[in-house]
Amino acid sequence: MEHDHHKDKTNENKTINKNNTVPFAEDNFTHNIKQLQERKLDRRGFMKTLVGAAGVFAVSTLPWGALAMRELSRDGEKQYAEKEIVKLDDVKVGEAVQFTYPSEHHTALLIRTGEQDVVAYQNACTHLLCPVFWDKGKEKLVCPCHHGFFDVTTGQPTAGPPQRPLPQITLTVKQGTVYATGVKRYET
Amino acid sequence: MKRSYYGVLCLCFVLLLNIFFTQKAIHAFYYQNYDATIIFAILNLVLFPAAVIIYQREKKV
Ligand code: FES
Repeated sequence: MEHDHHKDKTNENKTINKNNTVPFAEDNFTHNIKQLQERKLDRRGFMKTLVGAAGVFAVSTLPWGALAMRELSRDGEKQYAEKEIVKLDDVKVGEAVQFTYPSEHHTALLIRTGEQDVVAYQNACTHLLCPVFWDKGKEKLVCPCHHGFFDVTTGQPTAGPPQRPLPQITLTVKQGTVYATGVKRYET
Repeated sequence: MKRSYYGVLCLCFVLLLNIFFTQKAIHAFYYQNYDATIIFAILNLVLFPAAVIIYQREKKV
């Protein structure tokens, strides 16, 4: 109806152009804006959006559930391969070395905290996965992204946004060489 | 006719629960609480049909 009315108006003062097209009757270029077809968010539309959001949330947690299933279906403890990291003499007391464990994609830090003491953590920050580094002066593990700090002996977060401790890597020292033997589970 | 905004309120609450369960599921996953992750993922799944039912009940009022 709206459309027909519009047409009539254009036909009224029809002037044919050179190339045989009909110009629009009005000169403010609003002929293609139709008030009745404007999108608006009414109550029902809003409810539909919320239902859609619920669907998106449901689907987005599926992969997490699936990964958790996979972890649970593995029987017994997770098996880790032993991996040689460094010779103890190559790391000075108070220094750190980077390595990867258990896979190439998990970077980790080994810190020699004393003559005989070494600790190692996976160094993806537990806040948003930035790499954490060892600050020798502060004797802390520091995340530069949002100033997260971790205790070096336990891996517990001490300041900043991280809430979860860094996953600790278990080590053994055999004849002056440090080996990674596994990743500690969180106690629950 | 006066509209009922009851459905809007309920669906907003569903959205709140969605956010809550998603957050919980992912945290539980990183804490290696795999059972909890699955429970929260299922709760999140159940909320979707619930939202559809609320919509169907409330769209006409
Ligand atoms: S990513 Fe490490 S503090 Fe945010």
